[in-house]
Amino acid sequence: MPKTGGNVVDIELTINGERTTVEAGSADDLATVLRQHGYIGVKCGCDGGTCGASKVFVDGEVRMACGMEAADADGSEIQTVAALGTQADLHPVQQAFVDNFAVQCGFCIPGMVIQAVALLDSNPDPTEREVREALDDNVCRCTGYQKPVEAVLDAAERMRGEQSVAADGGQSVSASPRGAESTGCCGGGCDE
Amino acid sequence: MSNDEETAKADGGTASRSETAEDERSEEHPLEWDEPENNDKAPDERDSVSHRTEKYDDRKLVTGQAKYTADYEERYPDLAYAAVVRSDIPHGRVTDINTSAAEAMDGVDAVLTPESDAVPDAKYTSAGQSYPEPSPWDMHVLNEHVRYIGDPIAAVAAEDRATATAAVESIEVSYEKYDYVTDPEDAFDEDAPQLFEDGEVENEIVGHDYDRNRMAHIGGELGDVDAALDGDTHVHETEWETIRQSHANVEKHTSLAYTNEDDRHVLITSTQVPNHTRRQLAHLFDIPIRDIRVQKPRVGGGFGGKQAMVIEPIPLALSLATDRPVLYEASREEEFYAMRSRHPMKVKAKTAVTEDGDIKAIDIYALSNTGAYGSHGMTVAGNVGSKPMPLYSKVPNARFEADIVHTNTPQTGAMRGYGAPQGTLALEGHLDEVARDLGLDPIEFRRRHHMEVGDLDEIAGMMGGEGANRRIRSCGLDECIERGKDAIGYDDLEQPDEDHLHRGIGMALSAQGTGVAGDELGAAQIMMNEDGSFHLQVGGVDIGTGADTAFLQIAAEVLGCDEGEIIVKSSDTDVTPFDYGAYASSTTYISGMAVKKAAEDAKERILNWGSKLLGEPVGDLETGDGTVYSEASDDSVTLEDIGYEAAYGDDEREHILGKGTHCTEESPPPFAAQFADVTVDETTGEFEVQKLVVAVDCGVAINPGMAEGQIEGANHMSYEMAVSDGITLDDEGRAEVADFDEYGLPSATETPPIESILVETHEPTGPFGAKSVAEVPTNTVPPALSNAVRDAVGVRIREMPITAEKIRSKLDEREI
Repeated sequence: MPKTGGNVVDIELTINGERTTVEAGSADDLATVLRQHGYIGVKCGCDGGTCGASKVFVDGEVRMACGMEAADADGSEIQTVAALGTQADLHPVQQAFVDNFAVQCGFCIPGMVIQAVALLDSNPDPTEREVREALDDNVCRCTGYQKPVEAVLDAAERMRGEQSVAADGGQSVSASPRGAESTGCCGGGCDE
Repeated sequence: MSNDEETAKADGGTASRSETAEDERSEEHPLEWDEPENNDKAPDERDSVSHRTEKYDDRKLVTGQAKYTADYEERYPDLAYAAVVRSDIPHGRVTDINTSAAEAMDGVDAVLTPESDAVPDAKYTSAGQSYPEPSPWDMHVLNEHVRYIGDPIAAVAAEDRATATAAVESIEVSYEKYDYVTDPEDAFDEDAPQLFEDGEVENEIVGHDYDRNRMAHIGGELGDVDAALDGDTHVHETEWETIRQSHANVEKHTSLAYTNEDDRHVLITSTQVPNHTRRQLAHLFDIPIRDIRVQKPRVGGGFGGKQAMVIEPIPLALSLATDRPVLYEASREEEFYAMRSRHPMKVKAKTAVTEDGDIKAIDIYALSNTGAYGSHGMTVAGNVGSKPMPLYSKVPNARFEADIVHTNTPQTGAMRGYGAPQGTLALEGHLDEVARDLGLDPIEFRRRHHMEVGDLDEIAGMMGGEGANRRIRSCGLDECIERGKDAIGYDDLEQPDEDHLHRGIGMALSAQGTGVAGDELGAAQIMMNEDGSFHLQVGGVDIGTGADTAFLQIAAEVLGCDEGEIIVKSSDTDVTPFDYGAYASSTTYISGMAVKKAAEDAKERILNWGSKLLGEPVGDLETGDGTVYSEASDDSVTLEDIGYEAAYGDDEREHILGKGTHCTEESPPPFAAQFADVTVDETTGEFEVQKLVVAVDCGVAINPGMAEGQIEGANHMSYEMAVSDGITLDDEGRAEVADFDEYGLPSATETPPIESILVETHEPTGPFGAKSVAEVPTNTVPPALSNAVRDAVGVRIREMPITAEKIRSKLDEREI
């Protein structure tokens, strides 16, 4: 396992449904610690808290993991992008990003997907402006935001459609991160 | 090594348009192209090409499982981390480096200075270009003579990032300070502080004059521009200025170096140019090319910033010194002050135009600030002229000149558009101004002069280099203009109700190239497995563009199978065939054609086996739906049956292998027509861009979804050049931007909707009719927005960025 800096402290986290105790340097940010434990979907594109690539859910709130000290997350429930869907069974937001060609280099995408999931959880029918506002602190250099915005609007429509099916007795799909209450992140097949 | 031959092309002489010469050139560059029949497929005949095929790596990317360079960290338990001491003065000589505190620190494995044995002495250029390199060898890995705030001086490897950073901070550097200069016009003065002594630079570039800080001077002329300017014409002259733009690739420059169990030196690195980097490292470290392996994993954006060996020598030197794997990941602050940026330029445009609007001459001059070093300096400046000017191929007299000057400012380099954005701003802004002065419609004015099919592009050829005398075989400019006009609502523009708000539309045209004409090479190999699936090994470099997916679509179109039956492996110099890399809009066209040839080679073998199994002549057979089928009998055999028979047959066996290699003298231009719709508040100068529309002729889009994405991303980057300050510098040339919150990359709410329109033409020299797409829409927003503001409120902003303050100030001047 890669090494940390500073004094080592033990931190209790529930990461993608799995309770674990991780060792972290006292000065380490949460993104560094998550990455050191194999959660490589947490990306680091800046020097701390400005690009949005490291967004994760911390106790249900979107946070830039690189912008908070790991020690401050002690006792928290964390969901990374790996909690949302698997390659074979993508979350509707992930599926919409794929289907709308919203992904180019992909480096900012985990953070963007997390933010989009949070938006649709609180606002299932956002306007284009609301989508842009939600993604405002996610830096993307590849797409000009056009296709990511289209993808989130498309995902919203898909998820509303699925929810209306659920109301008729079909299967429900929640906008909340999947796997949050289950054990393991994806039922196998992923690195995390 | 001499670079005379390479640079002589860019220096060039004077071309003329005598009719005899025209005839000779027509023979050399015929319009007809010997295109294979299978290259030109009607839309309904295409099984894979021009489909919106899912990008093959997307599922890994959206689930966060794709691996970029830093994600390989966990594979190396003994990994050490690098950090770099950089100059904090703009110009001087290092007199002492006190490393004792760093060396005494727990967890520090190595401290390297310019004197260290592991640090190469050789000079080099970081520019990742062909060979001989058209950039001067003026750099050292670590420097005693520092030339900008950011120049690397010492490097550390330590057990963890925090220790590496602490060690760097503990190192004390003493300097003898020199005078410095940050303004390119000042630097060009004979009395200015001098960055390089005469004779100090190796591989010097044509027109260098280091007494005046000039690393190169280039130019070329077609016809007689001075005579046209002296004739009975209106002469207009305008001057334009562009920003220092950051690539702002979200994945920082990152490289991991180690020596493997076979004593070979491996770089896992975020690069656009694996093969060039391998060659450059071999030169620097005096290691045989064969003993270096460069592997490119997923790359988080390049945009030209990684068309260079920017950081690789540092982790390699540290790895050699420590005998451990070393990871160096630049900080975001380093990205802004010590990696690369777009050359800021001042560009003058002059034209001679008759009363009724015939352009008799175009004359462009660029002063390019290359910063402390000259990587990509000459070639980027060349493209200021050679990309935008050929668009007006009907103009009889044309001239381009550029001076490329050093200053004590951060390093510049390749960046998407590669000089074309600077030239396009000047030319397209200028022509708009001329049209308005003469009372002509800006679009009609351009239409009378722009390129069309059949033209011989002598303007790109006037400097004798890239794209010399191209014959134009595809051009969708008129359709780009028409569809762009419709989409923006050009003919029925409604003004806002409020009297102080004014709406305007601006447009600009652009041309780019597709690869460097006569200076590209791509190669690919396809191996068939016994189950009928394939491995495609290709040197072409996917840096997040979707190139790997385009390769799969091209291969699948030829092989007649699903893209999912092909595994693509790209950009590992030990495994994949040679490729120049991802730059100059070359990948789909050059590497893609190599893939097509490899697939055709494999297909020939497959059809032979199909013939044997079906008992029918090869001439009756074709591939499709995972089979070889007979057009005569309707019989078929699956690729799987062929694979097993070829591998395990009784009487004869063969591993079905196809290989393809592609180079060409061609570089067909893609075209773009840009429109910007702006509303300006005349009381404050504040403006809002309602919409950007850009219509692009990229030939046949191999994957329309990916092509649109390229266009939109390029247009966003172009919009930034129009409205952002870029990397601003203080008086000492220190970058005033340290992180994304200080850099003006337009955010999601700050970015207007971008409508991308694909205008399909067929380019007979490209794979299935494709030409490039990713650069041309980078060139067009600054002039289109300047033209739109001019249209809305009548004032002209020539110095980027366009700001409310500048508009307001011009409006105030006008009122006085």
